[in-house]
Parts: sequence; C-alpha cells; structure tokens
Amino acid sequence: MTDQEHLERAYRRRLAWYPRAFRDEHGPEILAVLMAGARDGQRRPGLAGSADLIRSGLWLRLCPRAPRSVRAAVRLMCAGAVIPAVSLILSLVTLATARIVGGLVVTALWLWMARANGQGRNGARIFSVVLSGVVTLALAIELGLGGPGHVAGMTVPSLALSVLNWLIGLAAAGLLWLPASAAFFKQQDLAQAQAQHQAQMAARARPDRPGARWARQV
Amino acid sequence: MQEATFLILTALADGSQHGYGIITDVQQISGGRVRLRAGTLYTALDRLRADGLIGVDREEVVDGRLRRYYRLTPAGTGRLAAEAARLQAHAAAALARLNLAGGMAT
Repeated sequence: MTDQEHLERAYRRRLAWYPRAFRDEHGPEILAVLMAGARDGQRRPGLAGSADLIRSGLWLRLCPRAPRSVRAAVRLMCAGAVIPAVSLILSLVTLATARIVGGLVVTALWLWMARANGQGRNGARIFSVVLSGVVTLALAIELGLGGPGHVAGMTVPSLALSVLNWLIGLAAAGLLWLPASAAFFKQQDLAQAQAQHQAQMAARARPDRPGARWARQV
Repeated sequence: MQEATFLILTALADGSQHGYGIITDVQQISGGRVRLRAGTLYTALDRLRADGLIGVDREEVVDGRLRRYYRLTPAGTGRLAAEAARLQAHAAAALARLNLAGGMAT
C-alpha cells in the first residue's frame, strides 16, 4: 500500500464519525480536500486533523440544521455534561456505586437533551424547561430546608458545581424559547408530521409492505 | 458573524470556488493567519447552505476526485456587504480616535 492509500484509508475511517447522510453527500469532496492538503509522504491524519474531523462529525450529529440560538443551547448542554462526567470518572476511581449511577444518569440526560433539542424535538424542549424547574426547586429546598448548617455540611466545591450546572441548564432552557429557536422547533415538528404522513400514505399504497397493516389501523 | 464565516463568504465574493480553493484563499486573505481545516470548513459550508447564503455552482471530477464549487447567493452577497460595511465603520471609528489621541495610526 502506498503512503497515499494508507492516508486515504485513515481519513475514511475518521469520516465514519459523520452522520451517514452528510457523509454520502460530502464525503468524496471532503476526502479530496484532505488529500489535497496532505504533505508528501504523509501516512497519518495527525492529531489536530483527526480531532477536527471527529469534532465536526459529532457536532453535525448533534444539531445538523439548528439556528444560532439552538446551537448555543446545545453547546451549553454539552458543557453541562462535563461536570457530571468528571464526577462519574472520579466516582469510578473511588468505586462509590450510588455516585457512579448518579453520574451516568445525569451525563446521559445532558447529552440526550443536547441531541434531541439540536434535532428540534419539541418534547425535549418542554422536558428541558420542566427539568430546569425541578432542579431549581430541589436546589431551593436543599438550601432552604437544610439551613446554613446543611450548606456547611455540603462541601463548597460541590455546592458551587451544583449551582453552576443549574445555571447552565437555566440558560440553555431559556435559549430554546427565543423566537428564532421557537420557529425552528415548529418547523421541525411540521417536517416530522409530514414525513410520518407520507410514510403512512406510501404504506397504504403498497399493502404488501411491512408496516402497512399498522398504517391501515391508524 | 464569525471571522471564519466572513472569510469564507469573502473567498466566494468574486466567483465560485471548490473546498480546497476556499481554504487556500482564506489563508491568503487573512495573511496566513487563518488556516481552515476540512471538517470545520464543511460544517460551515453546510450551515451557510442551510441559511441560503451560498449554493452549489457546479461539480467537476479532477484526477478521479470530486470537486464541488460553491457560490454566493444574492442573500449571501447582501449579508457579506452589510457585514463588511459594519466592520469598515468600526475600523474607521477606531482609526479616527487613535488619530485624535496622538497620531498613533499613521
């Protein structure tokens, strides 16, 4: 295998991080750009080049066509996932089971919200606001009922991190209700309803297709 | 508008270009300071296309590799012109005040 073939294969593997639809449409031209920018005798993509492709691919999976305000919310939610993720890693070291489960759930929740909101799912937008409200209430109760003594019992860094995570959630949820965001969610909802309707019509037209029975019942 | 976005639109202002052409042009416009990577470039191009600021001009195959040429749409031309005017106004204000402050900008 020549150096060039070796490099091209490595680049193709990095492109697997992209959503399939994007890769199908842009994969060949991105590969052409990458190969045009390669140095003579280069065999590996390099750390910065790989990081750029992986980051871009994951980002496109998160929020493919969202407006600026929704993208900012998705970025905040990814940042929000960092604190529980670090706490998860720390609790893995100390093997504190309750904290491992808690860290897993909270990290997954942040990432799920980032993805679902980035794709414009209105349920996720409502869920984000409700969750923000619940966390606000929980934090208020913890601070209020526990009193100063209780707060003293919580370590200062852990309290600060809880407040920071709460603020990130609040800011992200707020961004999702700006007019530009609201228009995006409405449009995505409409597109989804249309796609569903079309799929049903197609299933009705061809009764032998799987899913046709389900479509007739609806 | 982010600087990378501004530079990409500027690269397309006087004619269509393909991906690698945009990268080398942006590097030249910015005096070698901004070197776009392929992943970043195509994320930006996809967003600009979704926003209706650029479109696909044509496709070519050179040495067995696909080249897709992008061009500004009328909306893209308008946005770039507005942004350039805004930056120019800010730069003019800064230079004027520096002159008043003691002729540092000569």
